[in-house]
Amino acid sequence: MVKEEQETANRPDNTAFTQQRLPAWQPMLSAGIVIPGFVLIGLAFIGIGVALFVTTRSIQVLELDYSGVEQSSPCFKCSDTSTKNCVCNMNFNLDKLFEGPVFFYYGLSNYFQNFRRYGVSKDLDQLSGNLDNFENPTDDCVPFQYDANKKPIVPCGAVANSIFNDTFKLYQIIGGTKKPVPLDGKGIAWWTDYNIKNRNPSVTPLKNAFNGTVQPSNWPKPAYELDPTDPANNGFINQDFLVWMRRAALPNFRKLYRRIAEEDYAQGLPAGNYSLEIAYNYPVLSFDGRKKVVLSNVSWMGGKNEFLGIAYLVIGSLCVVMSVVMLIVYAKFKFPDEE
Amino acid sequence: MFSWYPSVMMSDITDKLSGRFCLFSFFFLPSQKLGSHKTMTKERIESELSWEVKANRREYHEQQQKKSFLCFQRGHQRDNVVRSYKYSPLTFLPLTLFEQFQRMANIYYLLMVVLQCIPMISTIPWYIAMIPLLSVLLVRGVKDLANDMARRRSDAEINSRPCDILISQSLTTAQWKDLCVGDILRIHKDQVLPADLLLLCSSEPHSLCYVETADIDGETNLKYRQALSVTHTELTSNPTEETLAAFDGIVLCEEPNNRLYTFRGELQWRGETYLLDNSHILLRGTVLRNTKFAYGVAIYAGSDTKILRNCGKLAVKRTQTEKVFNRVVIGIILSVLMIAVLLGIGSCVFSVQLLTQTEDLSDLVVSDNPVYTGFIAIWSYILLLSPAMPVALYISFDMVHTVHSLFIDWDLEMYSQETGKQGQARNTSLNEELGQVGYLLSDKTGTLTQNRLLLRQCCIAGDIYGDASKRVEDMEPMDLSWNPFSCGSLPMAAPGLMQKLRGQKCLVSRQFFTALSLCHTVMAEWKEEKPVYQAASPDEGALVGAARELGWVFLSRTRDSVVISELGVTRQYQLLAVLEFTSKRRRMSVLVREPEGGLKLYCKGADMVILERLQKDSAFQERTENALEMFSQSCLRTLCIAVRTVAEALWEQWRKTLVRSAAMTTCEGEALLEKLYDQMETELQLLGVTAIEDRLQEGVPETIALLQQAGIKVWVLTGDKKETAVNIGYSCKLLDADTRLLEWQELRQIFQTPDPRVSFFKARRMELWAVDKEMAAPKTAVVLTGPELIELDQRPEWGATFMSLAEHCTSVLCCRVTPGQKANIVTLVKKHMSCVIMAIGDGANDVNMIKTAHVGVGLAGVEGGQAVQNADYALPQFRFLQRLLLVHGRWSYRRISTFLSYFLFKTCSFALAHIWFGLFNGFSAQRMYETWFISSYIAVYTAFPVLCTAFFEQDVSAENSLKWPELYKTGQKQELSNPLRLSLSLLYALYASFMLFFIPLGVFHNTTFDYQTMAVTVSMAAVFTASIEIILVTRYWTKFNIAALCTCVLLYFIFTRIAHSMRLFQLSPTDFSFIGVSEKAFIDPVVWLTALLTSWTAVLPSMTAHALNVILTVNNTHKVHSLNNQPMELKQKFSRAAS
Repeated sequence: MVKEEQETANRPDNTAFTQQRLPAWQPMLSAGIVIPGFVLIGLAFIGIGVALFVTTRSIQVLELDYSGVEQSSPCFKCSDTSTKNCVCNMNFNLDKLFEGPVFFYYGLSNYFQNFRRYGVSKDLDQLSGNLDNFENPTDDCVPFQYDANKKPIVPCGAVANSIFNDTFKLYQIIGGTKKPVPLDGKGIAWWTDYNIKNRNPSVTPLKNAFNGTVQPSNWPKPAYELDPTDPANNGFINQDFLVWMRRAALPNFRKLYRRIAEEDYAQGLPAGNYSLEIAYNYPVLSFDGRKKVVLSNVSWMGGKNEFLGIAYLVIGSLCVVMSVVMLIVYAKFKFPDEE
Repeated sequence: MFSWYPSVMMSDITDKLSGRFCLFSFFFLPSQKLGSHKTMTKERIESELSWEVKANRREYHEQQQKKSFLCFQRGHQRDNVVRSYKYSPLTFLPLTLFEQFQRMANIYYLLMVVLQCIPMISTIPWYIAMIPLLSVLLVRGVKDLANDMARRRSDAEINSRPCDILISQSLTTAQWKDLCVGDILRIHKDQVLPADLLLLCSSEPHSLCYVETADIDGETNLKYRQALSVTHTELTSNPTEETLAAFDGIVLCEEPNNRLYTFRGELQWRGETYLLDNSHILLRGTVLRNTKFAYGVAIYAGSDTKILRNCGKLAVKRTQTEKVFNRVVIGIILSVLMIAVLLGIGSCVFSVQLLTQTEDLSDLVVSDNPVYTGFIAIWSYILLLSPAMPVALYISFDMVHTVHSLFIDWDLEMYSQETGKQGQARNTSLNEELGQVGYLLSDKTGTLTQNRLLLRQCCIAGDIYGDASKRVEDMEPMDLSWNPFSCGSLPMAAPGLMQKLRGQKCLVSRQFFTALSLCHTVMAEWKEEKPVYQAASPDEGALVGAARELGWVFLSRTRDSVVISELGVTRQYQLLAVLEFTSKRRRMSVLVREPEGGLKLYCKGADMVILERLQKDSAFQERTENALEMFSQSCLRTLCIAVRTVAEALWEQWRKTLVRSAAMTTCEGEALLEKLYDQMETELQLLGVTAIEDRLQEGVPETIALLQQAGIKVWVLTGDKKETAVNIGYSCKLLDADTRLLEWQELRQIFQTPDPRVSFFKARRMELWAVDKEMAAPKTAVVLTGPELIELDQRPEWGATFMSLAEHCTSVLCCRVTPGQKANIVTLVKKHMSCVIMAIGDGANDVNMIKTAHVGVGLAGVEGGQAVQNADYALPQFRFLQRLLLVHGRWSYRRISTFLSYFLFKTCSFALAHIWFGLFNGFSAQRMYETWFISSYIAVYTAFPVLCTAFFEQDVSAENSLKWPELYKTGQKQELSNPLRLSLSLLYALYASFMLFFIPLGVFHNTTFDYQTMAVTVSMAAVFTASIEIILVTRYWTKFNIAALCTCVLLYFIFTRIAHSMRLFQLSPTDFSFIGVSEKAFIDPVVWLTALLTSWTAVLPSMTAHALNVILTVNNTHKVHSLNNQPMELKQKFSRAAS
């Protein structure tokens, strides 16, 4: 009796798991599934590609390079960094209505906002309104942590210091007179950036919070005076500042500057002549960079993006081609030549 | 006159004359010969004897030991403590850390953790980076500790066994560990010897004593040892403890060594010197049998004993796959370093360019100088790219191994109902090796055979009795109640024979059994009024036992007489001469004088030998030969029994010649003896044939056939005799009648020819044994013995030739090999063959071989558990080997190969994307992913599906794996785990990483998408890629696989959303700076479309390869699935096993 019990105690369990007999689905693939599968997936990709391509073709884009590299460029005079407060005008003409809402971007190229040490050179605690970090910014901000007089820089770091400071005004030229096109700068930043990530310290007036600090060396004005027209658009929640602080992914990028959707231009920019007045401050030629202004409207998939549609078409076609090749191979294999 | 001198014929490896029927045989040996031998060799020996043992001088030996200890040299051990443990509480931590950091991988990971502590370059917080390494160290440490505790326990158990030591004139029961060299011990019957002893005297006449050496050489028969005549006479004449306590002899002998069958030394006592050899020595681990007690002085103790010297070192075993994989790992690490250096140089160049510019970036970069920046970038990139080789890989690898081992433990098909034991994976890290075995080196006794011989059939006067086709268990036992000496039933159903014998009509059958009960060297022992036989050879035991059951009872023997009871009538036969068995003669005879006065020669031997010595026109020869044919077809061992009536005159003449020859020198005498024997053993009259079944373990022939079909070469290594081994080779279908046996003489000639291969192929075409000449490919097997192997060992250049020839042989049989030689054979095969070598055995004599082989399997059999203790796998029965190899091994190999290449793919494709990103961020070591994603991608988001695949994947069911053994060859050829295969998956990973970066680059180039959105997009694509790839790889979808896959993908989305949530950001803005990114990205169609396109493009090559595989290859697996079950065709041809 005892021996029997011992034996059963030692005996392994007879379950599907321990005996490796778990019920399982074993897909038995065959040419009859694989080849049509490839065709279907290829067709689906081509379908998506066509949709994307058609969509992206309907988006209107206008790009104006105002770096002033060529002498013919109206901004050439400003490209010399020694000229201060240089203003140049770029004129352009629209043949047809530029459908609204029109987005006004500025674009930079060969600008490495994704450089690692540039990227970390900011103080998130400071930006979220922590007053301790006003006095002692994080070491990440070095060498933009303190100025020569050991005064803390607020906002500290390279990102803030290098804020894009060209400003633009757009005029429609109607019969020789310049009619200003209203540019809306509200809500161009991310909701989370504006409401959660960046907070001004709860000190009124805001200016007091910045006592004992200095503005970044490249800034003409302190952070609390960024937008003289709207007191609520100052400090760390200034829309332009927020847009700049959200780093670009790649060296060539665009950032939203304004929206055109007000007054007469709610339907878009009518055909006609326009003049863009640029306050040229930001030096780019020193690092072989370019500056652009981009006007664009958007679709369900955002801005114009030809690459995605084409890539879908290419990969989709590749799948279809491959399935044809497979079919030929299969036929050869299954029904080999008599020879 | 010559005298009968009972001499001990040792299984000395130099002695070729070892008997088939007995190791112990009587032969003529005049005493003065021994004396001359003594003086001749004395001087040569003395010079090498440096090991001194003084009997009864404990204090002297203890002092010796202390001295060597203080000198910090590991001196020779004088006490008998076995210490196999490694750690003490103090040394555990440093030792285990030291051991663990000997693994390159661990040092590498430690370096990574240290680098992570430098904030300037760290990619993830150091406390997170440390967790995997710590857990690896902890788990391994605990495992080592547990193993060491087990070793300590088993040591303690062995060390505390009792033994009787003579201390100050009285015997004290002490423990093994208290024994000291020089102590005198008393060993009882059936006691295991605690140390190597010099036999002083015993309770038996002439101070003989019998030992069983099963634990040393696997032979279950008894061996004889004899004390020196001087100690015998001096110490037994007054056999009290006092005489022994006063014994003050000094033994001078060789330093401790591992040679089991030789011993050289001398005893100095009372001014005289006596030579000692192996026959005076009792080894540790042997068991005293048939002897009431024996006294001996301990010569070697503890780890100096011969058996422990034979144990070999325990080496850590690494699998082939692991070795290949380690090379790939080193390759990856080196290329990561190289890439990091290149990127560092890029960074240096980039900062030089920036230096010329006056921009914010330049202030950041050029803090000191570009070279320094580049230097920092190198380290940053090493860290960024290090997830290509994560610690998690090693953790998962261990986990997979452990689960596979559990599956082996749990397998009901490998559970033996009779013994209540199951298959057991004792070493959990060798599972895939089971799927790659190329050579199986097997022990014979207890592994292939049960070592239980039974007389199953016999042919007397041309009539066949018994039926071997019936299983013993199914047979109706014969009624033997009339026989008072019967000890049980006879496994032979022959009622006709019984009647014939008792009817007293048939003289031939009566003579047949008289022959069986007379012609042998068995000793009888009486227990409970019944004779129990001690046979040196199991064959003889079976025959004498069978004769006893049928009424011809061997009662006792003296030196010159044998007493038997023939159906109740006791008769004494005078024993005139024993013509002993040698492997050359292959027969033995006894010459007896019957009680009536007639002279009879009874002879038994191999059929070939007996048949050619018969009288002309012997009766029923033809029918007997038919019977022989039939018996060997059913794989029975046959022996012919014959008789000759000897005339008185012939005997007188023969005896005179015998006396003359005995006086001659050894060499001439032996030749003459042989001639004399030959003269006597002629004109025989055939009585009949016995057919003995050497019972194989259950399912052995089937298993061997299956393994051979799977391409595994099966070799047999045994301490047993050549004849026995060859016989077993036939009965377990390792050899068949067409197999040409190649022996050493021939092999040596082949080696000596200029082109061994050519002469080998020529040699194996010579049809000597084969009956069937049409056989297209001649089968060959090599038979070697221990001494011949020594010769092979001495000529290393022959080793390679031997192995290249052995590759073409069906099998190799090695007989009379020591445990050390078994291990040497394993080493030889290991050295010349690249495949995996497995050794299987059940006894202590197999331990060394089991340890040396890549994979060692121990059978949990009757013999002691030593083999199991040292084995990597323990099995209750040999036949479970087929399931262990063909099912578990094959699955494990496939699963682990799949696991490794997939793991490499997923980690490298994910980590190497940083290289491409580096080209677009000024080589600044900017991360491509969020911190949290880097630390949880491998550990969480992609961990479980691959584990499930590595646990459950089955390409073919267990039944089909056994039905199609050819499938096993994939593993032997390392088709799934070769460096090329792994390099291909690395290349594929590199392609995938390229796609992972460049497709998002194309989409996000010149757009408003920010860095964080791109990071989320790429991470999403990476998770999708890994998930699609595992879907492609997995062929066996259990509910766990599906659940794991869904869970992982869901977890990615959930965890990412959580990590990007407001609450966590408010807790620590710097750690959770991705706030709100996924919220926006997960609803952005462009992000989704990009991620889908990226992952699809990344897996496209694999997808195409799988599709083409489906279309093109009608591979083995598909065949198995598509074909119907066909009965396995086992072509078996039997023919007479001529041996």
